Parts: sequence; C-alpha cells; structure tokens
Amino acid sequence: MSFILRRIATTRSGKQIIRDSVLDGDQILLGRDSANALHITDLAVNPHHATISSHDGRMVRVVAQEGLGFDLNGRTLDVADIDSMGGAELRFGSHRLTISQEDQQIILLVERIDELSEASRHIDEARAFSLAGLLPGKRISAWLFAALMLVAFLAGPIWAWQTFRGVDERPEGFHADKTWSSGPLSSAHASLKNDCQSCHVDAFVAVTDKACVSCHTGEHKAMSKAHANASSAMLLAARREGSLGDQFLARIAQSFNRPQGRCVDCHTEHEGAGAMPATPQKFCADCHDGMAGRLSRAGHPTTLADAADFGTDHPEFRPLARTAMGAKPERLVLSDQSIDINGLKFPHDVHLDGNGGVARMAASFRGQYDFGKKLECRNCHTPEAGGVGLQPVNMQRDCAMCHSLTFETVGGVKRTLRHGKPDQVAADLTAYYRSTAPSAGLQLGGIERRRPGQYAEGQIYNIYFRESQMRPSRAEDAVRAVFSLGGACYDCHTIYAPTAGKGWRVEPVTQTARFMEKGWFDHGTHKETACADCHVSASKSAKSQDLLLPSVAQCRTCHVGETGASLKKVKVETKSSCAMCHEYHQDGGRPWQPADDRKKANYRDRENMRRNVDVSAVTKSGQEAVYISAVPIAPKMLYRVTWREIGQPDNRMGAS
Amino acid sequence: MASLFSRRRNKAAQNSRVREQKHEGFMRYAGFRWAKISGGLTLLVMASYALIDVSPRHNGGSWYGYTLGTMGALLILWLTMLGVRKRRRSDDHWSLKAWTSAHVYLGLSLAVIGTWHSGFQLGWNVHTLAWALMMLVIVSGMYGIAVYALLPRSLSANREEMTQMQMLEALRAFDRQLHGTAQGLAPADAAPVLAALSENPFAGGMAARLSGRYPRCATAEALAQLGQRRGTSEDVEKVVGLLGQKQAALGRLRRHLRLRALLEIWLYVHVPLTFALIAALSAHVISVFFYW
Repeated sequence: MSFILRRIATTRSGKQIIRDSVLDGDQILLGRDSANALHITDLAVNPHHATISSHDGRMVRVVAQEGLGFDLNGRTLDVADIDSMGGAELRFGSHRLTISQEDQQIILLVERIDELSEASRHIDEARAFSLAGLLPGKRISAWLFAALMLVAFLAGPIWAWQTFRGVDERPEGFHADKTWSSGPLSSAHASLKNDCQSCHVDAFVAVTDKACVSCHTGEHKAMSKAHANASSAMLLAARREGSLGDQFLARIAQSFNRPQGRCVDCHTEHEGAGAMPATPQKFCADCHDGMAGRLSRAGHPTTLADAADFGTDHPEFRPLARTAMGAKPERLVLSDQSIDINGLKFPHDVHLDGNGGVARMAASFRGQYDFGKKLECRNCHTPEAGGVGLQPVNMQRDCAMCHSLTFETVGGVKRTLRHGKPDQVAADLTAYYRSTAPSAGLQLGGIERRRPGQYAEGQIYNIYFRESQMRPSRAEDAVRAVFSLGGACYDCHTIYAPTAGKGWRVEPVTQTARFMEKGWFDHGTHKETACADCHVSASKSAKSQDLLLPSVAQCRTCHVGETGASLKKVKVETKSSCAMCHEYHQDGGRPWQPADDRKKANYRDRENMRRNVDVSAVTKSGQEAVYISAVPIAPKMLYRVTWREIGQPDNRMGAS
Repeated sequence: MASLFSRRRNKAAQNSRVREQKHEGFMRYAGFRWAKISGGLTLLVMASYALIDVSPRHNGGSWYGYTLGTMGALLILWLTMLGVRKRRRSDDHWSLKAWTSAHVYLGLSLAVIGTWHSGFQLGWNVHTLAWALMMLVIVSGMYGIAVYALLPRSLSANREEMTQMQMLEALRAFDRQLHGTAQGLAPADAAPVLAALSENPFAGGMAARLSGRYPRCATAEALAQLGQRRGTSEDVEKVVGLLGQKQAALGRLRRHLRLRALLEIWLYVHVPLTFALIAALSAHVISVFFYW
C-alpha cells in the first residue's frame, strides 16, 4: 500500500509544474516536523499534526494527533473517513490537502492556499496607506450631509408651512419651520413661537400690518387716530430721508417686495426673549424732526410743531385752557400770561403766604386738621388714587375746614348751607329767619340797673318786638348778603343776580382734570420734588385764572434729551426720551415703559396703576359727573366732580 | 495695485522662477499678497462695524448685515471653487499656488465676515447652523495648514528615504524569515509567532491610526512571550531576534500611517462640511426671503 504525494509549483510565467512522489506504507504522518513523510511548512500546523492511513487503497482515515483538528467541508474534525473515489478537500492551517483516486492509487495533493502572513497579502497602496478604507468617502459624505441639511432645514420647514396654510392656530408640538426663527420672540408674543404663520402668512411676502391688526385691533385704531388717520402716503412723506445705507436698504427692500412703513419697522421682533425693546427716540424723531416742512412740501400741511429731542428741540406745551368764563377749553401755547378761567376766585398768594391771616387761621386749626404753621399745597389738593393726577378740589373736603358754611348750631349739631345748591341756600335762610326769634337784646336780660324815669321797659320791649315782627323780611337781606360782596358764596364764586323766574345763580366751576392730553405727567413719580419747584409762580399768583403749569424750560431744569443733550447745564440729569411722556398709540393711558424703568419709578404693578387711574366712563347727572374706574368686572366710582354747564348765563354779576 | 494683481504669468517669469530654484510656498506667495488683502478686508469689516450705527442693533437683517452676508456667501462659493480649479490644468491665469494662497487667506477673513454678519446673535436655528458649519470648515482648514507646515518634516524623518512599499516589503521579509525560522518551534511557542504573522499592519481603525497606539499588538505580545523562553533553543533565540526587527519595522510603518492620517483627516471634515455648509447656507438665504 502506498500514497502518491503530488506537489504543484507555479513558475514565474504562470506555468504549473506537477511533481509526484510515492510514499510507502499504510500509514503516513503529516506535520510541520521535517521528519514527517508529509511535511508542511506552516506554523499553523503541529509538528505531528495527523496520521493518514488506508488499508484497502480506497478508504482513507485521517486522525488528528496533537489536539488541533482539520477542516473538512467547513467543519473542524479530529477523525474523518474519506472515500478517495469521491475525493475530499481537507484544510490544515494555510494549506489544502486534496485526497483523490487516480489509477487505483490514492493521490494526496498539498497546496498553500493562504499568504504566509497578513502583511504579505496584496494591497492597493493608495488605499491602504490613506484613510480611504477607514472613513466614508469625502464625496459620499458631502452629498449625504448636503442632502440632510436641505431636507431638515429647507424641505421640512416649507412642508410645515404648506401643511398649515390657512389654519388659524397651529397645534402644539414641533414644527420644522421653527428652525428658521432668527431669535426668541418677545414675551408678549411668546405664545406664537410655534406658529410662524401667525405673522409670516404668505411665502416671500414680508410681514404685513394685516397680520398685526388681526389681533391688535384696538391699538391700531388708536394709533391711526393719534396720527390723524393719516394715509400711508402721508406717513411715508413725514419720514426723514435716511442715511445712505438706509436708502440703499430701502431700495433693496423695495425691489425685494418689502414695503416700508409697516408696524414691524418699529416693533422689531426676534430680538430676544423678554419685553420688546423700548422704542428709541429715533423712531419718533425720524418723522417729527423737521416734519412740518416735509409734510407741507408733500401736500399734507400740518399744524404739528417739530420735535426731535426733549433737551434741545421740543415745542412749548399747549395745555387745554378756557380763555373766557364758561368757554370751551382750547389748546394754547403756554406762557407766563396764560390764563384758564374756571369760575372760581382763588388767590394762591393769600393762601400760601406764611404770615397772613390764612396762615394764622391754619395754625389755629393745628391738631384738628393736618395743618402746619401755614397752608401747604397738599392741604387743599388731594392726589388721585395711584398718584398720577390730582383730584378736583372739593369744597366740603378741601375748603370747608376754614370756609365754613355753618349758619346755626342746634344742640351741638351744625347746620350748614347746602353747597352747590343756591336755591336751597336761599330757601334754608328764609326758613331760618321765619322760624326763629331774634336773639334777645342786651336790654332784655341781666340784672343791670336801669335809669329810672325812662320808658325803659317799653323801649326795650319795642326794640325786641319790632325786630321780631320784621324778622321774616330780613331773610331776603341775609340771602342777598350771602351772595354779595363779603358773603360766603361771593368770596369764592362768580354770582349771577336773580332774574325773572330764576333765583341767585352761581357760575359752574370747571376744573380741568388733565391739562395736557397729548403727553403724560405723573405727579407720583415726582414725589421727591416740592410742588413749588415746578409750579414756581403759585405763591405769587393773585388770581385764580393764572395757569400755573410749568413750562418746557421748567421741565428742562431736570429733564434732558435721550442722550443727555440740553440747552443749559443741568445738575442732576434725567434722560428723557419721547416715550417717557408720549405714547405712540395715544390710548390716553400711561406710556409703556420697560420693566426696569417701571421698577425704578417705584410702581407696584402697572396693571393696578392703570385700573386705578384710568377713567373708563363718565356718567353725567345734571351738573355732576361721576368718574368710573376702568376695572372691567366691578366698575368703581373714583370721584365726583361738578361739571361745567353747557349754555351761558346771560345775566352776570361781575367780580369787581 | 497693478502689481498686486498681475496674475498672468509670462514664460520669462516662469523660467526665471525655475532658474532661481527657490521654493516659495502658498503661504508666502507673492510676498504675502493675499495675506495683506484679506487682512485689510478684515480690518475694514471690523472698523466699519464699529463706526456704522445700525438701529436698533447690529444684525444680519440691517443693510450692513446684508452687505456682509452677500460678501460672505459669494466668498464661500468662490472658496469652494478651489476643488474645481485643482482638478483642471491651467497654464495661463491663476496658478494653483496663487489660487491656494488666496483660498487660505480669504478663507480666514471669512470667519470675521461671517461672524460680524451675524451681529453676534447666535441661537439654535438654521442661521447659526450655517455659521457653525462655516466656522468648522475654517477651523479644519486652519488645522490643515498647520499640519502641512509641521508634519512633512516628521514624515520624511520617519521614513528615512524609504518608500511606503519598501516599508511594507521589509515587513514581509521579516515575516518570511519568521515563518521559516519558527518551523522548528513547539506548538506553544509557535502560536504567538503565528499570531504575529496574522496581524494586519493596516488594521486598528481610526483611533489607532490617529493615536499611533496599538495596545493589543500581536508582535509585541509574541516578543514578550518568547522573550521569557530565551535560551531554551537556538530557534527561539532567532525568532526573538526577528520579532524585534519586525517590531521596529512595524513601528516605522505605523508612525508613517499616523502622520499620514493626521495630514489627511482634516479633508474628511473640510470637504463634506463645505457641502453641508452650502446646503445650510441655501436654506438660510431662502428662509430669510421665505419668511420675509
């Protein structure tokens, strides 16, 4: 029995040379050791790896010797019986042993099928030495990244926009176009952060005013009204020519379908969370600086004065004032000679004099009322709730401490004349004189001695009873006295003498609640300042009609422009932009202020302030008016004032 | 300026350059012409940003912002064209060196133009994404310049005038000798040698390539194991000697691979992110006009 061992060598030219050698014996050894009959130079093969035996020249038994098996048809085995007629391929390390039958003899073919080492394998130099094999190709990742960007940040957002076209409100959740947001929305619009389309309605169309007004109906109306319901053309004509850069941008914006003069020009959004930025003075001055000229050139003449900066360029105030008794209030340019006739006679100088009779009287009431050594402004002027303005002067509250209307005391109770009801005054006095006896004369009482021989008794009797008899007719004199020079009413009021069918009449007092309607002034924020610091001429005013409002120049002793500009040197500057006093939307309320400034001004809560201060309705009843606060649920009466009567009394008694 | 922009190379100038045999890299090209131009551009942007009053504050939507944005976008597209230019032969205008020099310096100034365009308002949105991608591309480019300046010296020091394939051939020679010498070893001793032979010198992944550290190196392992068996036989002695030599050759090859990886890696960031940037930039520009 013998095996034929076949080896195949390949020449450099690719030609194969087959060498056969005969191995005698029924059993041969296979291994790395050179003593083996079948010697394989392969480190993966044991020195004595296996025995190969055959007894019949056909069946071959292969038995692994030293623990390492061999592979047959993909399985690792230790023993295998192989029919050489069918043939088989066994694998030892990197070598292949093919068993076959040829001419009744068993052929063992041994070939190296693997490289000697990993390093010996053929490589593509350019690829192996570079990173090409380790990383995805630059081209593929470029396309992949680019596609990812376009899908996530272009297709996605447009799809989100398309999905919710015409939908009033988007559902909660993530919408891809949120990735387009250039910054957080202001706190007022924070709820819209998921709903880009609430403002950005149409593609490639700049945000329109329509989108703003769909929510802000009231503001829009107020704003249009405040700006004289001006057309867009007029508003645009008012604008100052911008810098070259701004003009360049405007031209670009125009060519890209982005019209000028929209709400969003001033109300910039996506500028960060928190309150919207305070509108800088520039936004007002852009139009109001030199506006009158521009408007008249554009065919929209205006009476509005130009204003650019409070410190340097602001027209004199034009408060509401009545230049004649009972006249309609009109806006007049404030000056030292400005008057406002309110129907009262009230000399401020007498009341504020520290040495006069008024001061004496006030001093005598110390303890009983909140008086000092002399009268102070606050003794007669009471702030409104919230402290913004002053309540109208009220006779009972603010004057009656001194100007008493008491005419009789009955059992310790004072009877007073009815203020505001001249007919009632006349009636009360008449009744008083009718129902009471004259006080007994000196002669009727006491125990003093009288001179004898005189008709003393009768004389006295006659004095008294004549008086008693005459007393009811005295009432008319008393009434006349009250309404005439030296009388209680006449001292303060303008009185009209009785005419046919009418009794004594008093000119209604018209107290202006707010002199400057276009601006906002808060007495509360000026608490630190004495009244006289601003109302400088009050202590010298001898007439009630003097309009004691401070002028722009007076304000400028503290208030300078937004950037600190001023005409004169100011010791303690208060930088004041337009928005400190003026509200663009002109809804009559307090101008909006950034939260920080509000805190500085020591306000508790803006909403409460507005509720307390604002007057939402005035219900008229005759000569009285009731101011109702703006608390929406429970209207609350703020105060009562006597209202100016419409129609002029024809018969006047002048205040000579 | 005329001399600054004389781009056409004439034959004589070319020849004289060849004669001079003086190497002038793209960084120093034409006496730092592009460094000066983009430095000036950068200063101009910074100064005008500080001087121009944009209300309410600087942002990409002001006229100044649009100007910078347009400049930046055009610059990005032009910078990308280097990839096209370097694939096309041109003997006439704009040598590749000039182009690369301009690419590098204008690319650096783009960092300022893009950032100043944003008005420093960044957020989690597509606009900042485009900015971030731009900065990544620029930073990767800066890395590229740095390694191109520093690493080639180490690379040639390491290879000692051998080619890549010569390094690999040395390894193969040691493997063949190891294989032959180890035939006489006992199976227990042959196993680590076999493992060393089965180790692929190019294996190890990105981490190993960039760090040059191969903690489970089979050759080192085999050396350690057989080192303990020294003196047992002559074959072991020989094998240990060969393993030591193989490890030295492997070390050189691996250092070479590491340096090459460090030289190449930035392009795998720079190029794909450039295309991501162009896509994000398109989304950024379209979104601005879409939600105008």
